[in-house]
Amino acid sequence: MHYIKSELLKKGMDDVIISFDEAEGRQLKFVNNKVVKTGSELTSSINIFCTKDKKIISTSLKDISKSKADELIKKVINFSKNVSPNEDYNGIAKGPFKYKTNSDYDKKIIDMNESDILEKAINKALESSKRVAGNLEIWDLKHCLVTSNNVEAEDNSSGLYFSIRAFNENDESGHMNCCSNTLRDFEIEKTAERAAEIATLAKDPKEAKLGRYPVIFSHMAFAPLLNNIAEATSIYNVEAGFSFLQKLNQKYGDFTLMDDATLQDSINSCRFDEEGVPTRRTVMIDNGILKTYLHNTSTAKKYNVETTANAGLVSPKPFNIVFDCKKGDVFDVKEGIYITNIWYTRYQNYSAGDFSTIPRDGAFLIKNGKIVQSLKGLRISDNMLNLLKNIQCCNKKVLQIKSWEAEIPTFTPEVLINNINITKPTQ
Amino acid sequence: MKEVAEFYLKKAQELGCKYVEVRAERRSLSGFILKNGNPDISGFDIISGIGIRYLINNNLGFVSTNNFDREKILHVLKKSINTTRNSSKISKDIYFSDEKKETANYKVSQKEKIRDFTEDRKLNILKEIDKEINKLPQRYLTLHDEIAEKYYINSEGSVISSVIPRISLMYFLTITENNKSIQRYMPNGASSGYEILKKWNLAKRIPEEVELLRNNLKDGISQTKGKMDLVIGSEVTGIAVHESVGHPYEADRILGREAAQAGESFVNLNMINTQIGAKIVNVVEDPTLENSYGFYLYDDEGIKARKKYLIKNGMINEFLQNRETAFELKNKSNGCSRANNYDVEPLIRMSNTYVGAGDSSEDEIIKETKKGIYMKSYMQWNIDDKRFHQRYTGSEAYLIENGKLTKPVFAPVMEVTTPTLWSSIDMIGKKVEMYAGNCGKGQPMQGIPVYFGGPMMRLKNITIQ
Repeated sequence: MHYIKSELLKKGMDDVIISFDEAEGRQLKFVNNKVVKTGSELTSSINIFCTKDKKIISTSLKDISKSKADELIKKVINFSKNVSPNEDYNGIAKGPFKYKTNSDYDKKIIDMNESDILEKAINKALESSKRVAGNLEIWDLKHCLVTSNNVEAEDNSSGLYFSIRAFNENDESGHMNCCSNTLRDFEIEKTAERAAEIATLAKDPKEAKLGRYPVIFSHMAFAPLLNNIAEATSIYNVEAGFSFLQKLNQKYGDFTLMDDATLQDSINSCRFDEEGVPTRRTVMIDNGILKTYLHNTSTAKKYNVETTANAGLVSPKPFNIVFDCKKGDVFDVKEGIYITNIWYTRYQNYSAGDFSTIPRDGAFLIKNGKIVQSLKGLRISDNMLNLLKNIQCCNKKVLQIKSWEAEIPTFTPEVLINNINITKPTQ
Repeated sequence: MKEVAEFYLKKAQELGCKYVEVRAERRSLSGFILKNGNPDISGFDIISGIGIRYLINNNLGFVSTNNFDREKILHVLKKSINTTRNSSKISKDIYFSDEKKETANYKVSQKEKIRDFTEDRKLNILKEIDKEINKLPQRYLTLHDEIAEKYYINSEGSVISSVIPRISLMYFLTITENNKSIQRYMPNGASSGYEILKKWNLAKRIPEEVELLRNNLKDGISQTKGKMDLVIGSEVTGIAVHESVGHPYEADRILGREAAQAGESFVNLNMINTQIGAKIVNVVEDPTLENSYGFYLYDDEGIKARKKYLIKNGMINEFLQNRETAFELKNKSNGCSRANNYDVEPLIRMSNTYVGAGDSSEDEIIKETKKGIYMKSYMQWNIDDKRFHQRYTGSEAYLIENGKLTKPVFAPVMEVTTPTLWSSIDMIGKKVEMYAGNCGKGQPMQGIPVYFGGPMMRLKNITIQ
């Protein structure tokens, strides 16, 4: 890393960031109660970001040897001669920095026999459901970084991820995920039990009636929407037209949205961002008011603000999304719908916030705070700004959720949102 | 790549694997972003590595690494086999269909070669387009090229080498008028050299499209709800056939293998020969289309690719299969197994999926529609995970009155079930057009290049929301 950095600087590059990543991971994929594939992976890579006269180049080196590094450096120099400057580029962070301690790291995870805990989880779910499918994943990562601005940093992380979908009869299913960076906090059996519980509650679903309802979003259902909302706070997405959060200091509702890469128990915490700035907790939306976008050093300088330590060298990005709002009984509704999972969120217009998404797995009609009927065939067709404005309250229990559609770990409670438009095929 | 692949095939066999296949891959890529006229970041990369899939005691294992150090690979291979053995008590026995061994070496030729295009020429392609639309407040353009070299071998004697170049250019635009906005996202892609850009002609096509969308935003009416005929353009036909025919006919979904990720299917194994659409509907899946974005001649299990009819005369005709599902269904694989990179297992994937041509001209379809909507393009769409309930929201759309397009319509919505959609078709155009996409499936998520398309079609008596 140091060699590549110094050679690139010698050859006239202005800013250089070199990172090294080594990852070992395994996966057990199970279907119809049985493992159908084991997966194992070992990768390493040196990633290179460098600039010359505001021209930005990125590449990587996988075959790590001096001769391959020299070859790559030559290519980078030639490449830089043929590309154009990014007039918005304003440099990288100046070090050195001091870093706080690591988030929880469990080096034993990668050497565990994961099939034993998976067997227990599958059996737990099968106590009250007919079949299950999902994944168990474990990993161990090493990450270090040096820059031309006197930054040297390193971090280790470990993780476990479990996703289980339980089924009974046709259209009766429940899905629950959990993740942790230590085996100690990994609630795999509880998660399996909850997926099966939702599948059981989903018995004999009926078509819902069209209309506007108060909707209670479970942890799994709200996390993908929070991913969308947090990504809309990246200044890059605002500039490119991918964001419905277009005005700073505007009130969008009554809730708080944060990014926090320092959480001890998150699978995605990191001591530093992609340019080596020590990470922190950033409140993007404070009591409904959009206080800041997510920035790296370069975008922050453009807008005359401080970096929020969210580099992304191309696009600033959240690490761990944290949501909060007024506490209350989310089920305290006269008539509403409880949604336990969503998928396929798509926008008609990102900047206006027009979107639709499809509840999947258990969805329930709630009357006077109680589940009275399992539902199917729903779609939420609404606008993100309306949704934010109508956030009412959340319960106290916060879970860390990562899922197919919530790739950024999200710490969320269950949330009640009023006046959500429910549509379905009318033919 | 060849030597390494052969070495590990042998090693895996020595370690007790009954069946082994090795994919050694090398992808050379470059990419460029132009955001609001400003070159954002440019990059190049070489992604190379090896993926080994094996059966040991009839349990399936997959291992991958980008480290070509023989000791390291051997170490991860042994560790992987241990994991597979440790899981055997809770594992399913997996069998593959018997298939013919294949030997092949093929490549897609390029007239204007990727390696001959300098970085400034590539960036200029985006700048030329941007110059024509630089009055728009937000323009996001990306260009990527790659040359994917693959060497595949398996323990049954198949040996297949391929070289496929790909170009993709995506634009995402925000058009504003009187404090309102409309957005357009469109990927273009092909297995080709840079000569494909002439065919795409984007510097001319995009500004024309922007003007039509601006008219839609300015003058589009939204009070066009209720039952009427809906004419969908080839772009909407394409997304509909991909989502509601291609996906539910993937045999792994039908058997539940993707249940916790991309979902299952409303189709079951007994539905072959079931009437699912109008008799004039034929749906084709064909990886062998020259220069298509989903092009390949052999899949990632070494099976020769072929054209197949998913729907023939409105009846379900064939599912997409790999060797695992073919064994369960007691037939042969039809070559749909694809992995988007060396480091992931191959899954059943679409390639180029389209509705076959009908016998009406586009003019005839409009002319014969008394009252309806023409939804030429779309922005938002989604479908449930069994592929039964779907929604498409129009971008460029028009009212049809007495056989003529009379005024633009703003964001008409069709929310419909799959059988209703395919049974309502009573006219199909002659001209088939294809659109590029990156289809997502699996865990880890694999985005894979595909085409989807077809002709203009008319759906009778559809509720527009």
